[in-house]
Amino acid sequence: MRTTVVLFSTVILLLESEAALLADGPPKAPSFEGDVAPFLAKHCTGCHGPEKKKADLALDVYTDSSSALKDQQVWEKVSKKLRAREMPPKGRPQPQVADVEAVLFWIDSAIFHLSPERKDPGRVTLRRLNRAEYDNTVRDLLGVDFKPAEDFPADEVGYGFDNIGDVLSLPPMLMDHYLVAAEKIAEEVIVTGKPSGGELPEAHRRIVICEPTESTQKDCARQILERLAARAYRRPAAPEEVDRLVSFVLVALQSGDSFEKGIQLALEAILVSPHFLFRVEVDPEPFRSDASHPLGDFELASRLSYFLWSSMPDDALFEAARRGDLRKAEVLEAEARRMLKDPKSKALVENFAGQWLGTRKLKMVSPDPGRFPAFDEELRSAMARETELFFEAVLKEDRSVLDFIDADFTFLNEKLARHYGISGVEGKELRRVTFNASSERGGVLTSGTVLTITSNPTRTSPVKRGKWVLEQILGAPPPPPPAGVKELSEEESAVSSGTLRERMEKHRADPNCATCHARMDPIGFAFENFDAVGGWRDRDGQFPIDPSGLLPEGESFSGVKGLKAILKGRKAEFCRALTEKMLTYALGRGMEPYDRPAVDRIVRALLEGGARFSTLILEIVKSDPFQMRRGERGTTS
Amino acid sequence: MIESSSIPRRTFLKGLGTALALPLLDAMLPRLGFPGNGLTGTAFSAVTGGAAKAAPNRLAFLYVPNGIHMEAWTPSAVGADFELPPTLAALKPLKDQLLVLSGLTQDKARPNGDGPGDHARAAAAFLTGVQPLKTHGANIRAGISIDQIVAEKTGMWTMLPSLELGCDRGMVSGDCDSGYSCAYSANISWKTESLPMAKEINPRVVFERLFSSGSKGEAEESRLRRERYRRSILDFVLDDAARLKKKLGSTDRRKLDEYLGAVREIEGRIERAERSQDEPQAPMQGVAKPDGTPKDYQEHIRLLCDLLVLAFQADITRVSTFMLANEGSNRSYPFAGVPEGHHDLSHHGGKPEKQERIQKINHFHVTQLEYFLKKLQSIKEGDGTLLDNSMIIFGSGISDGNRHNHDELPVLLAGKGGGTIETGRHVRYPRDTPLNNLYLSLLVRMEVQAEKLGDSTGRLPQLFTQPRLF
Repeated sequence: MRTTVVLFSTVILLLESEAALLADGPPKAPSFEGDVAPFLAKHCTGCHGPEKKKADLALDVYTDSSSALKDQQVWEKVSKKLRAREMPPKGRPQPQVADVEAVLFWIDSAIFHLSPERKDPGRVTLRRLNRAEYDNTVRDLLGVDFKPAEDFPADEVGYGFDNIGDVLSLPPMLMDHYLVAAEKIAEEVIVTGKPSGGELPEAHRRIVICEPTESTQKDCARQILERLAARAYRRPAAPEEVDRLVSFVLVALQSGDSFEKGIQLALEAILVSPHFLFRVEVDPEPFRSDASHPLGDFELASRLSYFLWSSMPDDALFEAARRGDLRKAEVLEAEARRMLKDPKSKALVENFAGQWLGTRKLKMVSPDPGRFPAFDEELRSAMARETELFFEAVLKEDRSVLDFIDADFTFLNEKLARHYGISGVEGKELRRVTFNASSERGGVLTSGTVLTITSNPTRTSPVKRGKWVLEQILGAPPPPPPAGVKELSEEESAVSSGTLRERMEKHRADPNCATCHARMDPIGFAFENFDAVGGWRDRDGQFPIDPSGLLPEGESFSGVKGLKAILKGRKAEFCRALTEKMLTYALGRGMEPYDRPAVDRIVRALLEGGARFSTLILEIVKSDPFQMRRGERGTTS
Repeated sequence: MIESSSIPRRTFLKGLGTALALPLLDAMLPRLGFPGNGLTGTAFSAVTGGAAKAAPNRLAFLYVPNGIHMEAWTPSAVGADFELPPTLAALKPLKDQLLVLSGLTQDKARPNGDGPGDHARAAAAFLTGVQPLKTHGANIRAGISIDQIVAEKTGMWTMLPSLELGCDRGMVSGDCDSGYSCAYSANISWKTESLPMAKEINPRVVFERLFSSGSKGEAEESRLRRERYRRSILDFVLDDAARLKKKLGSTDRRKLDEYLGAVREIEGRIERAERSQDEPQAPMQGVAKPDGTPKDYQEHIRLLCDLLVLAFQADITRVSTFMLANEGSNRSYPFAGVPEGHHDLSHHGGKPEKQERIQKINHFHVTQLEYFLKKLQSIKEGDGTLLDNSMIIFGSGISDGNRHNHDELPVLLAGKGGGTIETGRHVRYPRDTPLNNLYLSLLVRMEVQAEKLGDSTGRLPQLFTQPRLF
């Protein structure tokens, strides 16, 4: 436990010193010669130097600032390891906190040019709407629920999410899909002939807001299309844009078709226009990377709506943008709170939690039916639903995000409750169930979803489970196995030579594997009482289960409850991990070194504010990377 | 005109898969002539000695993940007199149509200093011969794949430049393999170095793509009007994109360029369709629209094969890639007696019982290849068959899944390439012969002149036993 305390206090220390730095900076700026070089010599180059070069890293090659400047990635790694207190490893002499601080400060200022005066909000690459956003936007734009994106190809995933601007691509085949979908949607929504039954559908009436006569055709078309384009493009349409859309009506009329046919064509064009398919944010100075600026009001409104709803802004949000006061703190906060309460915020559950907590992945796994006959489609969907409802409860009840690590309630139906070994739940509907105090369940770690997606089809994988916790909960993913090393014994079948643990410990004797597996495996073994589909078990085949473990930081635990207690103690790490993931999702880009001050500020607010879910959302929305952007180096040619 | 076409109608109907025996619909065969095959036509007659044929070459790549159990794959003898080993035994009736190519290497799938991630690299390098950039976020970068280089050329003559198929959608989480983006493991076809060509998974959607133009006996006048409207919409959005592009920074411009490229390709397609309006069109009776994606994996593969055969037969496209599963796939094959995940199993640690199961998976995939090849063979084209005018590559970017090695790759070439390939043999090449050398040899057969492709060092010899044009 001692380590936990130390660890936690250093985090606080770092955060506090961050505040101090933000205020005036340290008394004297650390230098490479005076601070960094002696630190490296004392604590690092023994292993990362001319002789050992562990992890393929040699730090002795840096002799001054300018040689260090060439390898930003190396220093980002050094900074991360120091901040996480992973290096120097336990068992080695530990540096003074102030010395670590000095090195970190030097890395920030000399390598990444971070300083209180030079805020860098970064920039997000032009984002294509992904499938969920396309479907939701069509729904909210036209008031019809088609889900046309069902047939679209899967969106590319980067940094764990499928809404990353850089990664989302547009191959010709997807353009085909867009054209076909636009045609289908426009023909469905706009009625060109006599309506059956005399009554025009509501979706049609909402768009065709005037009835043209011979002389008012053009004006009416303008009126319709100006409004439609503004909503579809999520910003006021320029008069020239409206003119070009109106010309579709003229083309239709000239071809002997109706006025409505022209509107239909214009809608089709709108739905394949880059202004609809992409989330456009324009920089006043696109080629200056040092010129940051606040987003436009409508751009900010879209950032909010696509973050919380995976969809376009609604009328109220548009109105706030139009008034120009969306940036006012109280207006922004009120809007964000309103939007979280809106049923459309279930998009955050489906798309953020779906990827973070793996409910989407759950749809793809195929546990061996011979070994796990209980796992059928009904159970699969109950598990996914449990995870969604749980995330939704944290969101709607504005609970502490630490509930994700452990909570005394969940949502079950009869089938899932039986699977978990809990009695007294009947019927197909999932409902809230409170665990009794002795239960090992609670939180996402012991959910069927997470336990199943981190298993192999035929058996559990402590390595995958440990890796999942490190990655998703502690934000410290282990590096991939070194090249040329034989894959781990998690691949060994459950033979009678010994328990999985024994066999893995043997395998871990390989020093190439030991460091990382010493972090992953003990965590994974804490979950061994849960089988590959999350059911409870006391034995693994013929062997009794031993869920105890010892973490490299020195903490020991006797099972999953103990592990959860340790993880709850590391709330600063968890809050940082969650913040980085949520910010990645909110921005549609990966985290960069220059985002650290913003992340630190959000984490600090989260820790001070009881770790409430709404605090996380509001602090992200208020942050510079969310509210601002900058140009990028490059030329107009 | 229809009588003189090179696709006899009856064969055409016979060529439809049993899986397609669904309610019948009308669709149009876009074209019955084969434009643009100058070189192939004459080259054919030169090598086959037969009468000049008009049929072009078709090229397809079928990809399987996680390597192959090579002991049951590689024939022991080389030359024409070789026994098919167990995994290839299913192809026995087609033995004289096969060329087993041993000893080929995809060096760019090796770490070359990039550390682990062999699955992602295997797929990304398979058709490119270019080392993919190790990233799991922005800036994905591989090379242009051979199918897209061919499509750039043959796409001038067909409705679809290429057709990308697969059974697995993209991956669902970001880092698919040791720090490599999922885009690498889920695609083998790359249009540009940063634009992977997403696969079509759903047979119904493939069908709609293949047979969308001119449906249901639409009146000529309304069809023309519809096309005019479509063109004015494309003009409108091209204009939008051009105006927008001026306001953007360089990275955003690159994204918009993908958009512009896609719209222009569709414009080109409409133009080609208009040009071919004068050419004879036969109603394609009996092509049934699939309902969707079958749950059964074998049925899914076969349905996509059926559609690919149709696309080749009707000359809707001449180039295709088909990933039977994404690289690194952990799909289980209970119907083939393998309840374990494929990737997990592929790390067999030399255990015979695991290798046996991998072999079962390999056998299953090869059986699907047999289905596809037989189907191609059943379709008469000129004096031969569609398979005679095809080059079907089946293989993996990994040799042994346990070792993750990228030399000694399992590569099979089926079809005679319009008489330019001498099949019925097993050829062994010197160690580390680049796989891209094979591609360079295929390029010339697709009428693309190139001296180098990725890491190629020259054309692959011995595709023909006698010194020939190729």
